[in-house]
Amino acid sequence: MATVSLPLGDAPSAPRPRLRVSDYLRWSVDHKIIGVQYMVTAFFFFIVGGALAMLIRWELLTPTMDVVANGSQYNTLFSVHGLVMIFLWIIPMMAGFGNYLVPLMLGAKDMAFPWLNAFAFWLIPPAGVLMIASWLVGPPEAGWTQYPPLSTLFSGDGQTLAALSVHLLGISSILGAINFIVTILNMRPEGMSIWQIPLFCWAILATSIIIVMATPFLAGALTLLILDRIAGTTFFDATRGGDVLLWQNVFWFYSHPAVYIMVLPGMGILSDVLSVHSRKPIFGYKMIALSSMAIAIVGFTVWAHHMFTSIQPELRIPFMITSMIIAVPTGIKIFSWLGTLWGGKIRFTTAMLFSLGFLSMFVIGGITGVMLAMVPFNIHVHDTYFVVAHLHFVLFGGAVFAIYSGVYHWFPKITGRMLDERWGRLHFVLTYIGFFFTFFPMHFAGMLGMPRRVAVYMPEFQGLNTVASLGSFVLGISTFILVYNAIASLRAGKLAGANPWRALTLEWATSSPPPATNFIGDPVLFDDPYGFGTPAASDYLNAIDRRFGAPEPGAPAAPRPAAPAAPQPAVGD
Amino acid sequence: MQQDLSGSLSREEQLALKNRRTGMAIFQISWIMVFVCLVMVNYLVRGNQVSWPPPGVAKPEAALPTLSTLVLIASGFLVRRATRAVREDRLPEFLSGWRWALALGGIFVIVMTYEWLAIPFSGQYSNMFRVMVGFHAVHALAIGVYMIQVQRGARAGVYHARHFWPVEAGASLWYFVIVAWILFYLVLYWL
Repeated sequence: MATVSLPLGDAPSAPRPRLRVSDYLRWSVDHKIIGVQYMVTAFFFFIVGGALAMLIRWELLTPTMDVVANGSQYNTLFSVHGLVMIFLWIIPMMAGFGNYLVPLMLGAKDMAFPWLNAFAFWLIPPAGVLMIASWLVGPPEAGWTQYPPLSTLFSGDGQTLAALSVHLLGISSILGAINFIVTILNMRPEGMSIWQIPLFCWAILATSIIIVMATPFLAGALTLLILDRIAGTTFFDATRGGDVLLWQNVFWFYSHPAVYIMVLPGMGILSDVLSVHSRKPIFGYKMIALSSMAIAIVGFTVWAHHMFTSIQPELRIPFMITSMIIAVPTGIKIFSWLGTLWGGKIRFTTAMLFSLGFLSMFVIGGITGVMLAMVPFNIHVHDTYFVVAHLHFVLFGGAVFAIYSGVYHWFPKITGRMLDERWGRLHFVLTYIGFFFTFFPMHFAGMLGMPRRVAVYMPEFQGLNTVASLGSFVLGISTFILVYNAIASLRAGKLAGANPWRALTLEWATSSPPPATNFIGDPVLFDDPYGFGTPAASDYLNAIDRRFGAPEPGAPAAPRPAAPAAPQPAVGD
Repeated sequence: MQQDLSGSLSREEQLALKNRRTGMAIFQISWIMVFVCLVMVNYLVRGNQVSWPPPGVAKPEAALPTLSTLVLIASGFLVRRATRAVREDRLPEFLSGWRWALALGGIFVIVMTYEWLAIPFSGQYSNMFRVMVGFHAVHALAIGVYMIQVQRGARAGVYHARHFWPVEAGASLWYFVIVAWILFYLVLYWL
């Protein structure tokens, strides 16, 4: 189905862009620089949030209170941990991938609104400062969900700063999403229909639609919360005619779709990585694309499943049904990915390992999600460690594994150098094991009745908690393997060439890192972004190697056909 | 949105204009959701009361707000005419239309400020009223200030048939203010 279209000709002598640290520290409207700014900033906050998580697990090693001095300090730990990880790590990190990749994948020079793009990024550092500062002025203690009356009556002024910080991040998120939608709708090259864009772009499109429709609700809820805190209104004050459930309704109307904001881009990463590293066309392109849209739509109808213990009983069943329905499009994706892998020439690169890790862990998170959708079970485990286990399987086993996978897959494009695969495998193994033993025991603790958000617990839970804490320390250490690997590879990694993985999407049809305008001349499009295994694809990939340079010998890249000059179709493609 | 991209623009300019129009449309759809959110909050708050307004609280008179709503809608038509004028290089017509629209918008903001101040405190009812009217007024004011900037730019002769996006953006934002207000007006005074 793919016709031959070769990026022939000699490599034009484009000046190789030099990556200087100072370029990343100042205002720039280049989407590639902004993408890296997003990713590095987000990763910094990942370390911050991770440090808080380490303190939490250290505290929970023993049933008694030994790290924190009182319950309030513990409340602060998990509140800031949750806020930082969700609003300053996963969401900006996914936006970073989107920023770097979407214009390249579409063969565009930049995003539709470069200035707005930079503005959206530069809202994040002040928001991060506000979030950290919230700690200093009377820390927030109400969890990342900021439920009143905890967030109105029992939290310090830091709660207001945290709410303002999330407000800023929401605006940043909306502006970024508008940019993505316009770029994807309007900036495709001629000849690329919406059914030919990479699935990562579909995922970003679906995510952006959720962001523009749902995040305003967060803005509304936070406005009311801030007014209650500083302007004397009483929307959430039950003693003066207010209603605490009001917050829960509005907050979850945003925050349940926000779960998909965090995981859909990861699913997009997965669709690309699985296909490329198993050398097979993606199974069910349209179904994967449309299931993202289905998730985006159905995601708006499930919010009250977070409130099964507090809403009117007659509303539980409808929300239980919608919550179970949303597993269907997710299941379509899972089976499409399995279909992609089936019979493929799988290469267990680190990117692939993390994607497979996502598959296994996210399925567990998804199944516990369906379990939680059941009202009777939900009421049994409500506010227990089962919920903590579930959400971390989705957000760490899902989103973070996908982020890692994307980092290993696109690092060569971003920096021009390969990440070291041996360190990568070690990173994967430690992350996988550490993650599993951190969060899997929490299912049992939750079902046995251990409540979440407590610093002291019944002694009979100590065994499970010790396992979880030890696992989390492994997980914490594993993060620094990536940091070391990235720094070492930046200095001395093998040169990646243009297209180390022999992928067919457009971001690989230019030098690594790409020049300032992304492409010299018009990018040459291969009709089917996942059309591996055809002679045409092989010719196209060989032509890219010839024009933009092949990886350095010894680089952990995809095997090349024996004689790249010969027009024989390679078996490996 | 519906006007064709005229032939006098280059291909890049046409794409930029198309992008901006799409972006503005998405922004309008997105940000109107905050107003929808407040409407949803209004109904959730009502659900907790025996009646709305609560017993003993008088609903504010609708006459003056209705007038000011009509004034606001009229300003929308003026903005529309003015935008068309600048696209056809009829600058004096633009300036007078835009000035009148600003004046009508100003009247609306003044009337609603009065309404905001006049409503007696009555717990949830007046809270809800003030948050909604105030939230809308903040938008009307901010966009009004932007429109004054456009007016100054136009007096300096910045806008013409090939460069009118700032005017069109101001107009789109003003339509947004009008639609958002009609939503609030219906909820606050009639539904």
